[in-house]
Amino acid sequence: MARKVLIIDDEDDIREVAALSLESVAGWEVVTASSGAQGLARAQEHKPDAILLDVMMPGMDGPSTFRELRNNPLTAKIPVLLLTAKVQNSDQRRFADLGVEAVLFKPFDPLTLSAQIASVLGWS
Amino acid sequence: MEHEQKPQEHADTKIAASGDLSAAIDLLWIRFLPEIRKRVDLLKTAAAACAANALSADERGEAAAAAHKLAGSLGTFNLTHGTELAREYEVLASRDETLNAKAAKRLATIASELGILVEGRK
Repeated sequence: MARKVLIIDDEDDIREVAALSLESVAGWEVVTASSGAQGLARAQEHKPDAILLDVMMPGMDGPSTFRELRNNPLTAKIPVLLLTAKVQNSDQRRFADLGVEAVLFKPFDPLTLSAQIASVLGWS
Repeated sequence: MEHEQKPQEHADTKIAASGDLSAAIDLLWIRFLPEIRKRVDLLKTAAAACAANALSADERGEAAAAAHKLAGSLGTFNLTHGTELAREYEVLASRDETLNAKAAKRLATIASELGILVEGRK
C-alpha cells in the first residue's frame, strides 16, 4: 500500500516540488496544506503516515503546529519531520528538542527527499 | 494528487508520472519564476535603500525574509550557488547592528548576482 505524506508549507514552490518529488520518485500519495491551521485539519481528515512540516510560516509556525498535532489524540502519533532553511546549530538543537522524528534542510534534493524520509522512518 | 490544483499543475503531474522529474521541475520553475523574480527585486531595492542610508527596519526584515525563502528554494531548483548567496544576504540583513557602506555594497552585489543566476537558469 502506498504511503501517504502530508506536506505543510506556506511557500508554494517548495510545497509543489516536494509533492512532485514524493509522488514521482517514491510513488507516495501526497496531501498538502499551506498553513499550520490547514495542516491540522488535513492531518485529522487524511491521517497520513508522516508529516513534513515547514518551520517558518506566518500565523501558526511549525513548532506551534507540531505541539497542536501532539495534543490531539487523532494526530499525536503521526511521525513529524521538520523542514527548515535555518542552518545555525542553535536552531537545529532547538528544533530537535521539540521531539520531532528528524529535521530536514532546505534546499532539498528532489531526487533523494523520499529516501531521506524513508530512512528516518525506517520505511523499506 | 490531493492538492488544490491550478490547471498548470495537471500538466506538471503528468510529466512526473512519466518519470521525467527534471522536466516537471523545470515546468514548476517557469510557473514560480515571477515570484522568485519579485523576491530578487525586493533584495535589490533593499540594497539600494541601504546604500542610500534609507532602509527602514520593516524593509530590512522583509528583505531578510525574502532572502530566507530564496535560500530555501533556489538549491531545490539546482541553483546551489543561489542558495549560498541568498543565505549570505539573509545573515547580513538579520544582523543586529546598523549596516555600513561595505555591507550595503555586498548586499547590492549579492542581489545582482542572484538576478543573473535566476535569469540564466535554463
